[in-house]
Amino acid sequence: MDQAVTGVETAARGSRRVTRSTLLLTAWVVAGLAVVLALVYALGGKSPALVTQAVVTGVLLGGVYALVSIGLTLIFGVLGIVNFAQGTLLTLSMYLVYALSGWSGMNVYLATLVAIPLLFGLGWLIQTTMLNRLMSAGETEGQLLVTLGLSLLIGNVLLLAFGGQPKSAPAPWNGNLTVLGAVAQVPRVVAFAGAILLVVALTVLLRRTRLGLAIRSVAAQPQGAALVGVNVRAVYALTFGLGAACVGAAGGLVLPFLSLTPSAGEQFTILAFVIVVLGGLGSVTGALVGGLTIGLVQTVGGLYLPGTGALLLVFAVFVLVLFLRPQGLFGSAQ
Amino acid sequence: MNRVGVSLAAAAAVILTAAGCGGSGSNTGQSSPSAGGGGTVTIGSIHPLTGANAGAGTLMDNAAKMAADDINAAGGIKSLGGAKLKISSGDSQGKPEVGQSEAQRLTQSGAVALVGTYQSDVTQNVASVAERSQVPLVIDVAVDDKILQQGYKYTFRIQPDATGMGTSGADDLADLSAKGGSPVKTVAYIHIQGAFGDSVFQAFKKQAQAKGITVAKEVTYPATNFNDATTQVSEAAAAKPDAILVTGYYPDSLLIAKSVAALKPDIKALYGIADGGFDDDQFPGDIGAAGQGILSANYHYNATSSQVQQLRTKFQQKYGKPMETAAVLSYQAVDVIAAGLDKAKSKDPKKLRDAIAGISVNNPLLAFNGPITFDSKGQNKNATVIVMQIQNGKVEQVFPDNFATTKLVYPAKPGQS
Repeated sequence: MDQAVTGVETAARGSRRVTRSTLLLTAWVVAGLAVVLALVYALGGKSPALVTQAVVTGVLLGGVYALVSIGLTLIFGVLGIVNFAQGTLLTLSMYLVYALSGWSGMNVYLATLVAIPLLFGLGWLIQTTMLNRLMSAGETEGQLLVTLGLSLLIGNVLLLAFGGQPKSAPAPWNGNLTVLGAVAQVPRVVAFAGAILLVVALTVLLRRTRLGLAIRSVAAQPQGAALVGVNVRAVYALTFGLGAACVGAAGGLVLPFLSLTPSAGEQFTILAFVIVVLGGLGSVTGALVGGLTIGLVQTVGGLYLPGTGALLLVFAVFVLVLFLRPQGLFGSAQ
Repeated sequence: MNRVGVSLAAAAAVILTAAGCGGSGSNTGQSSPSAGGGGTVTIGSIHPLTGANAGAGTLMDNAAKMAADDINAAGGIKSLGGAKLKISSGDSQGKPEVGQSEAQRLTQSGAVALVGTYQSDVTQNVASVAERSQVPLVIDVAVDDKILQQGYKYTFRIQPDATGMGTSGADDLADLSAKGGSPVKTVAYIHIQGAFGDSVFQAFKKQAQAKGITVAKEVTYPATNFNDATTQVSEAAAAKPDAILVTGYYPDSLLIAKSVAALKPDIKALYGIADGGFDDDQFPGDIGAAGQGILSANYHYNATSSQVQQLRTKFQQKYGKPMETAAVLSYQAVDVIAAGLDKAKSKDPKKLRDAIAGISVNNPLLAFNGPITFDSKGQNKNATVIVMQIQNGKVEQVFPDNFATTKLVYPAKPGQS
């Protein structure tokens, strides 16, 4: 008993140290981005209004990327599962919110609040009934195949149920805000705020609660966690559930400004993996900073390298970061 | 890190394998070799029935089936003793290699003709199969010029190609803006990257110069991971053009129209050319009031024809979805093949090919300049675009006058009634 208490205290102290280094790193990344942006403004040869618009668009787009990546980083970081169903779960939650708001006439964002626990339940179910059986085998291929199969299954069920015609759901608040002379569509600003809120909520959960402690201990050393009495399988299931719940929030928040098709979420899968690895496995802050970086690179870079060039730039930044910091921006060296 | 790397590599391998296996797994309705099978003639219909474009693909497949049903109900192919048409469906999944294997499967199992495929790259592969197996392919939708530039003898296209649409899109823009009393002099052009967007743009630019219209700015965007058009639209607006032009697919067009509504550039027209969104009947509902006045030059079903109106009502009743232009084209393609069979008086694909090459189908279901008849390359000579406009939440035909369902509103700053 004594030992367990000391363990918690050490972990708490450790977590404060981690928080400080996280802040420092965030400052570094923000400073780096600021320098690049200052250079673009000063020497880029583009009109300042255009660059400002690209920056605002990029930050908002980064919020969307962060929303999609947060759930993935939990699942990838804690469970070590390459979850190929993440994009499809996003699509599923979009359809869920679409259907809920369609049937009941509910506001999209209220419907999102309903979708979050439903997705949590689904994630929990997937982990307990399917993936937990494969966790002890010590290999990752089995889980990967299960998630890939799930993604095909869910995608095709959605196609069967809703057809492939693009659908859209109106946001309760439309219109535009003006930020520093640049235009921002209100639903995108709401999604961005949602991303920040989600990051804060998850950080508090992971750093300040017993459940968070259990999740972090399982991520660091499952066997050790089991030895001190953590129910590892239950934590796995809860973590997958949390990851799915994040996607539930993301789906509802992005629905008002994206066209909904049975493959709408899949396009995010690859970028989300890039962001998760860039930010560091299991780091929620990393997912946010990674998402914002990728969003900005895509829009500001798009001013100079239009079309696919911007994506090329995204992957160039990715490779560069992995070269300089193989564990990702906020990943802990192993 | 290493474990993760291995998993990712494994995942990639798995995805590739899954894609490769898809073709053989999706056989729908195993068909007996029907070329010699008494009273039926099999036509293969290849469309994306799963994947991102499954919505349009499924409607097109349904339209092909409806065409066959209608022809059968009217007595089948007369010169073949009332032989019945049977549509055998293939799922391209939107992938060229899958489309190719489906084309092989269908021709080997006795299809005397193919229709398809909605996507240019898929069509390219299917056309090469058609050529090798000497089975005619009637393209319903596929825009790329290149498909018919290979010297193929067995491929025919009903809709205008990219160059044709870019050219007549420029003509119509010049004519309708002059008619509206405020000629367009400069434009900014936003288009998707790739063969489709590039070739429409190049053709437009060439013809626009001849008409005294300058392209002040060309903005391209990638075909994947395009989730926000604000940067692209603000780049286009920064050139202070008279009109912003768009060529892309449905979700992109929606993003672009929303960004135009947000940025409110001072333009006389938001004008799509061969655009997959602006003249879709679903588009006005999705964009809302911001869509008012958006123009679109595209091939389109002929809304002024009562035959087409009846056909669309029937389709809506049967399948519960509106019959878009793409689906009308699939219907038309099966019609053309039926007319070819009737003329050839034979189920032999080679004779059918010769019959289609010399055919003239009157009163096309599409708003074209005249009957469907093919040039030496297989392109329908009378295919053209007309201009549609979103007015009061509906897509109306507005230009030229002989196809107009309502009056053109111009200048048309988007979102203003």
